[in-house]
Amino acid sequence: MDIFLERLFDGLTNGAVYAIMALALVVVFRSTGTINFAQGEMALFTTYIAWWLTTIGVPLWAGTVAAAGVGFLLGAVVERTLIRPVRRRSDMATLIVALGLFTAFNALAGLLWNSETKPMPSLFPSGLKDYLSVGGARLYIDALGVWLVVIALIGAVFLLFNRTRLGLHMRAVAGNPESAALSGVRTGRILMLGWGLAGIVGSLAGVLVTPLSPQQLSLQTMFPILIYASAAALFGGLDSPMGAVVGGLVIGVLEALITGYVEFIGGTLPQTAALVVIVLILLLRPTGLFGTRQMERL
Amino acid sequence: MTLPTAETRPTVETLLTVEGLAAGYGQARVLHGVDLEIGKGEAVVVLGANGAGKTTTMRALAGLLPYTGRVGFEGQALGGLRPDAIVSRGVSLVPQGRGTFSHLTVLENLHVGAAMRRDKDGIREDVERWCSVFPVLAERSRQAAGTLSGGEQQMLAVARALMSRPRLLLCDEPSLGLAPRVVAGLFEVLARVNREEGVALLIVEQNAELALSIAHRVYLLEVGRVVASGTADDFRGDETIRRAYLGY
Amino acid sequence: MTLLDQHDAVGAPPASRRLPIVIRGGSGAHRALQVALVVVVALVLFAGASAEPFRVGQLTSVLIFAIAISGLNLATGYTGLLSIGHSAFFGLGAYTTGVLVVSYGAAPMSTIPVAVLLCFVLGFVVGLPALRIRGLYLAMVTLAVGVAFPEVVKRFEDATGGAAGLVIRSRHLAPPAWTGLTVGQRGLWLYWVSAVALLLVLLLIRNLTRSRAGIAMIATRDNEIAAAASGVRLATMKTGVFGLSGAVTGLAGSLFAMYVGALSPDGSFTLLKSIELITGLFVGGAATLLGPVIGALAVVYLPYFTSDLAAGHVSGVLFGVILIVIVFLMPEGVAGVAGRAVRRLVQISPATGDGPSASRAERATPPTRESEGDPR
Repeated sequence: MDIFLERLFDGLTNGAVYAIMALALVVVFRSTGTINFAQGEMALFTTYIAWWLTTIGVPLWAGTVAAAGVGFLLGAVVERTLIRPVRRRSDMATLIVALGLFTAFNALAGLLWNSETKPMPSLFPSGLKDYLSVGGARLYIDALGVWLVVIALIGAVFLLFNRTRLGLHMRAVAGNPESAALSGVRTGRILMLGWGLAGIVGSLAGVLVTPLSPQQLSLQTMFPILIYASAAALFGGLDSPMGAVVGGLVIGVLEALITGYVEFIGGTLPQTAALVVIVLILLLRPTGLFGTRQMERL
Repeated sequence: MTLPTAETRPTVETLLTVEGLAAGYGQARVLHGVDLEIGKGEAVVVLGANGAGKTTTMRALAGLLPYTGRVGFEGQALGGLRPDAIVSRGVSLVPQGRGTFSHLTVLENLHVGAAMRRDKDGIREDVERWCSVFPVLAERSRQAAGTLSGGEQQMLAVARALMSRPRLLLCDEPSLGLAPRVVAGLFEVLARVNREEGVALLIVEQNAELALSIAHRVYLLEVGRVVASGTADDFRGDETIRRAYLGY
Repeated sequence: MTLLDQHDAVGAPPASRRLPIVIRGGSGAHRALQVALVVVVALVLFAGASAEPFRVGQLTSVLIFAIAISGLNLATGYTGLLSIGHSAFFGLGAYTTGVLVVSYGAAPMSTIPVAVLLCFVLGFVVGLPALRIRGLYLAMVTLAVGVAFPEVVKRFEDATGGAAGLVIRSRHLAPPAWTGLTVGQRGLWLYWVSAVALLLVLLLIRNLTRSRAGIAMIATRDNEIAAAASGVRLATMKTGVFGLSGAVTGLAGSLFAMYVGALSPDGSFTLLKSIELITGLFVGGAATLLGPVIGALAVVYLPYFTSDLAAGHVSGVLFGVILIVIVFLMPEGVAGVAGRAVRRLVQISPATGDGPSASRAERATPPTRESEGDPR
């Protein structure tokens, strides 16, 4: 029982991280109708910045704020200068640019900080003894911290979309950019802000996940997370923040339980399992479980 | 055309002046120099066959298409402005087809229409006002716009455009695809908005007879140029026009 | 083309002739041009073969990549089916050859048809989702395949050697006796095999893209609904194209296995390989015949020239930046731009519908959305 609980906790923690990253994808999708394949690598880059700041004596919380700030700028600048000019041309062009960014940001992190694995400090107490005992299982404080941040973020994103003018305008631009412009919405600014916000959310995901990740901070840290997050976002419906969160948690828990209990898949095929979920959802229910918008299909 | 063009200047103070408007899509030129004028509080209709450039004119005026030529509104040039800047100058377009946000609620649609306004109380008042002018919007205020009927969506699109408190409302084929009874109701409201609120109207319409019923003046567009203009009565009285555009 | 009616392009004196020079397909000049082309290609190949062994190896990898990118070109370039999963086809081809040679003692060349067939089947299966989803979403599916491949290889450790990799002994890769080449000359043998394979692939693609099927592919890319309305059977065509595309890239994978002799799932068959192939395709020129060859040169030589700078990261940044720059400045790729320049000088009239590659691919790049504006 306690092993089951511990696996469940693990799953929920990983799932919470996938949920944040999925949230970033959803924010971009809702405001611009595109999947940003480079989201993970942009987050990786800003996480390196947070880590690098701690190595020169800056406290981690300040480093996190700086990373979020850089994430915002990167997102906004990338949207304005690289995505917007090609987005109208074709999906293909958008994707190629995203792949270029993916490769460039990953390599740039390697170039600046080499490819050795870095131990990443945690925002929360992360000692071996920092845990609560729940039903005989250990619930680590840092995991709990991640859960709390996720809950706070979801609340913030929900409020943003449903209670603020900015959120309303973002939804309007995502749904019908032309009518939004005709209503007086400054669509360009909205798109930049959407990508910027996703950059903040992604940066937070990066700083939170790396201390928990078995790889710590390395050039390979974020890619699997992006894969799971994409699966989560598609699972919940690309335009639903709630769906992204539920999707993230479901995939995190499934991953933990499958890795623990299903021998055939074991520790070697978890990403493949997540991807099978992506494909099945795309085929069976293209709007995801919580989504409303029809994805592009014939 | 036999119609005199000299009398077609608005009798009131000029609101919008368009001179030599030329625009197109890529290599294809659609407008070859359109000239027209709208006075304050006037209702003007643009008639013309398919492909004459009616929609292109509207889209250019709203800032959705680059163009050459001069467009002045209340003495200021609109050329080169983005759509949102044109809205904030007081010109609002109800685009052809669906001008609504189908996944937002009716209320949210109206609030998006007030995107560049800051006066919270004024916005609330306007929402109430348009909901009383279009009662169906009040009934469905919490429903997603996509669930409304075609006529209701068109009403919403008009109300949404009015939320920016325009002094000139551009309507691109508001009757397209709607049942005759719905269209009549819509035009009644447009006429009322024009009469009671003093909002000038520029309407592109296939249903010429209906359009003439609320218009003060008319322009006739052919192959990207204004070929005739006059008062609504002039047009109704001209046999050629009647045959070609009114069908009786 | 009206020039052709006015005077015979071959007869007129060069000085007074206006550009482009138009050569009638099937005419003497055209034949001469074709023969010249064959001679040039042969000379280049022989020159390559006589280089020092290290260079020959490098050129072999260019040839292999050119095949792999040509495969990708069929799906992504000509048909507009975006794939980020072609590393899986490359890998499946490679591992098919590797496993058959190592575990079953098969002759390397005899494994090629098996690899091609398996990759065709995988491609066909991957193509199935393309029937329902498009654009970015289809890219997600191919991404899934690309990510899954290394994991699957690791899972089936018994056959594939798992994460540790698979080594093909060099004696298994010896050239056949009839060639008169020694075991030490297997690099040269593979060079020629790859060259012939590439030429066959290019010939196949050239003929395919000029056939009805090729027109259907391009029509589907440009406007799927219109293509379907014109009688293109989207289902058959898309799955078929994905199958063929996978098969060609699989062929490259199979040759690659013989070329490197050691396979590891995290080495050459990750998503990074897919990105390399995509970069090559767009740098060279999507939907052009020779684009993949130019792209392969870039993919092989760019990292080579930058590798001594900093452990591959510079080439990673460079790849990313080049990819973005290409999208902005040269959406047709090098071959697209060069092709246009050549067409400005020389044109082959389609009198017999049999001109060399330069005269084709007028619509080399996917159309822009702006051009779809509806003039109402």
